[in-house]
Amino acid sequence: MTNPLTTYDGAQLGQDVCRGRIDLSQDEINRFCALMGYDDPAYRAGAAGGAVAPTSMCLAFGLRLGWEEQVFPPGVIRVGDENTYGVPARAGDVLTTCLVIADRFERKGRRFLTYDMVTTNQHQEQVCHVRFTAIMPEAPR
Amino acid sequence: MSDLPQGSTIIKVTQALIDAYAAIAGDFNPVHVDPVFAATTPFGATIAHGCIPMEPIFRLVQAHLGRPVMPQGSRMKLRYLRPSHPGDTIGIVVKTQHESGLEFQCVNQSGQPVIEGEVRYG
Repeated sequence: MTNPLTTYDGAQLGQDVCRGRIDLSQDEINRFCALMGYDDPAYRAGAAGGAVAPTSMCLAFGLRLGWEEQVFPPGVIRVGDENTYGVPARAGDVLTTCLVIADRFERKGRRFLTYDMVTTNQHQEQVCHVRFTAIMPEAPR
Repeated sequence: MSDLPQGSTIIKVTQALIDAYAAIAGDFNPVHVDPVFAATTPFGATIAHGCIPMEPIFRLVQAHLGRPVMPQGSRMKLRYLRPSHPGDTIGIVVKTQHESGLEFQCVNQSGQPVIEGEVRYG
């Protein structure tokens, strides 16, 4: 059953919709780097200060939470982002992502929701703030 | 902008890349991973997750600044202009560059912009 807080009409703007935890492993960083072709030694196990995750990998954390928690309706289309990047995520970090619906609006007969996803590490440092706006799929007629 | 690294920024979109990204992001939206469903949509075929055609801007900035990650406090604004499909090759065009950031377009192999945006370095 759809969580009403995730729907266009039921969203309570600014309130937590869900919160999730990721234990970031070196294996996950390796998998992302292999997929995207990142080969800097800073991403590898044994890097000075601990391996960092490529910044673009952090975009996936909020997405994963949103899909796992069924926040995003199938068919949703992303149209724009405003993102801020903080401290790098590192292998071994315990990351917490909080997802909020920040805004809703209609334009040219289409409905849009804006999602805020803030990921912090175990030191309460912000890793990234991803704010994206998406077109909601049309309801079946 | 000839002083910015370009070659390493190109990304080739494949269905295998999209499927693997779906597994990492948990985003199995059928418009990305189900060719039969996607064929019934206005897109006519599967489309890449927005984060895939974004990759060139991360690669460009990180290579330009000589860092493995974006500087802390960096901000990025993006508009997605058209979808990227399997078979597309996405590169980047820098429109303007200044000390604190740049404006860019991610473009496909036909030169069509798929994303436009700006980065401000932290």
